[in-house]
Amino acid sequence: MTEKIKEQDLEKKKFGAFQAVKEFLYGAAAHDSARYALKTRASMEHLFILITMGDMLGVPILPPYYSLRLLPYVVPQISTWKRRMLREKDLMDALA
Amino acid sequence: MNSIVILLIGFAVAIAGYRFYAKYIDTKIVKCDSKKTTPAVMYMDGVDFMPTRKNVLFGYQFKSIAGAGPIVGPIIAIQWGWLPAVLWILLGTLFIGWVQDYSSAMIAMRHEGASFGGLSYKLVSPRSRVVLVSFIYFYLLLMVGAFGNIVVSTAVGLKASPPAWLILTIAGVLAGQMIYRWKKDILLTTVVTLAIAMFGIWFGTMAPSDSILGTDLSNNRLLWALAAFVFCYFASVLPIWKFALPINYVSSYVMFIGLAFGIVGIFILHPDFTLPAYANFMIPIGPLWPIMFVTIACGAISGWHSIVSSSGTARQLENEMDVRPVCGGVMFAEMVLALFALIIAGTLYSSPAEYGAAVSKGPGAVFAAGVAKFLGAVGLSPALGKSYGSMMMIIVAITLMQLVVRFMRVATAELLGDISPLFRNIHVGTVLASLMGLILVLTGWWQYLWVLFGGANQLMASVALLLVSVWLTSEGKKAGWVIYPMIFMFITTVTALLYTSYDLIHKVWTGAAKGTEAMIGNTIMGCAGFFLVVTAVILAMDGVKALHKYRLLNLQATESHA
Repeated sequence: MTEKIKEQDLEKKKFGAFQAVKEFLYGAAAHDSARYALKTRASMEHLFILITMGDMLGVPILPPYYSLRLLPYVVPQISTWKRRMLREKDLMDALA
Repeated sequence: MNSIVILLIGFAVAIAGYRFYAKYIDTKIVKCDSKKTTPAVMYMDGVDFMPTRKNVLFGYQFKSIAGAGPIVGPIIAIQWGWLPAVLWILLGTLFIGWVQDYSSAMIAMRHEGASFGGLSYKLVSPRSRVVLVSFIYFYLLLMVGAFGNIVVSTAVGLKASPPAWLILTIAGVLAGQMIYRWKKDILLTTVVTLAIAMFGIWFGTMAPSDSILGTDLSNNRLLWALAAFVFCYFASVLPIWKFALPINYVSSYVMFIGLAFGIVGIFILHPDFTLPAYANFMIPIGPLWPIMFVTIACGAISGWHSIVSSSGTARQLENEMDVRPVCGGVMFAEMVLALFALIIAGTLYSSPAEYGAAVSKGPGAVFAAGVAKFLGAVGLSPALGKSYGSMMMIIVAITLMQLVVRFMRVATAELLGDISPLFRNIHVGTVLASLMGLILVLTGWWQYLWVLFGGANQLMASVALLLVSVWLTSEGKKAGWVIYPMIFMFITTVTALLYTSYDLIHKVWTGAAKGTEAMIGNTIMGCAGFFLVVTAVILAMDGVKALHKYRLLNLQATESHA
């Protein structure tokens, strides 16, 4: 029984080490690309919310009457969107 | 001495430093808390803040910081002897390098992912933000110049590299199309584009640049400098997924395969050091202290790491316990990479004269010859090994160059956009940044440029350590483990920059710099060096005032409690 547990532990460790190497390679080669794709999507979504719901930040682009129908769909993102819009920007962010 | 002994000592220092010293600082001084929410988890906006697993971040951090620094630095530094270089690589990383990487990420993480600009404004003084950004702009300009010089000298000295570089670029662009436009499977894309890149490395040996362009053109530095900056222009102007990112993707695999087999080759051959352990205190580029310390650059400590750690990694850490393995651990890994580069330089040539003849053609020639030797141990032909090594050299240099040119385009728009809307144009910004880099590449001697870049890079590191010192003092935590390294780095790098800048300007005054190119290059490099010293001194003055202020506040708080 103890031997079986030891074997299972060894399997887990091997698999864990293999998984770690896989993640390392992903991080080195592809993580930047994945991050950039997510950033691009999120930027476009935030731009859309700015156009439709900009009134919340004092930027009345579209009259809220027309965009109120979209409100239930954007509610989950509003706090994130506001924080990103109002967050202090720095030149160093271009290197992130 | 056998090189494997040095490697084993390096591993021992890395393990001991990580497991004892780094752990002590992490748990007892900084007191990282696994229950504390990091900005990545708290905000998780999918834009800047994204919690990421530590192994993925380890790979990301390693790829971001491992540029030409840990390779070129030791190759040059061996001129003083391999022993002082080894000592600085080991001790520098152990007491300063990992401290800087780790603490930069920690300070950013504990300030909601703020970057250094914001941190300096908050902790030091309002003007320090502007001074820091100006410092970073010129520091990155020197980086572009130094790395550009490496690309040019490699393209000129190793004729197989230009065709391989071109085919790698094509492979990268194809990878972008396959992934983003044609929505092909990532495994298929990787296999196909990597095969094309490897074909390019072989093709370079069959059709080197002199057989295609002729001897004159293939030896023309202006041609390859223009090629490098045209490459950076496309990387800066085109959508990042079309050019820069996919080329980096394919290049990563070329690098890691080369590194992995090269390391195996070193262990198989386990060569002895053939160059002297200690050569001389004074060599043509300067004295051992302070010049060797700044020459080795990223192999021991690098300000670039603090920028990556604070602006990138800190916003992705999902747990405070990950900072030590990701940031500290990667620096120890880079230390080992620097040792490999030192072994390449120290074991390849039978005499200092032979080494001198090789390194005069540029560090790429030395590195490529070393890679060829160690890949030869695993069965690769010398010509193919040399082509592979030259490609690795170009990749590590051009990957960072194009990122920096892109950043300089953004910085130009930010800093000069109010003066004229023309500077907001992406083409104008990119051409301006490229032009400045081009002038440096064509007019500066590569070893001086490297020393200036190294000095600026490590001065950036001491500025980062200064910020961390102020933060620790403001929190009432022990700061000696940061302050003393900061003082040492500041004195060393300022002295190195002053020495080199004075030497360059002096050559112009006395007429020792022959030719218009040398005069222009020396003047620009010298002035850039002096400017960096002035900005660093201003930052140091403000930093010391801030330190003093927080110390007094802590004293008052202690007295009022008593």
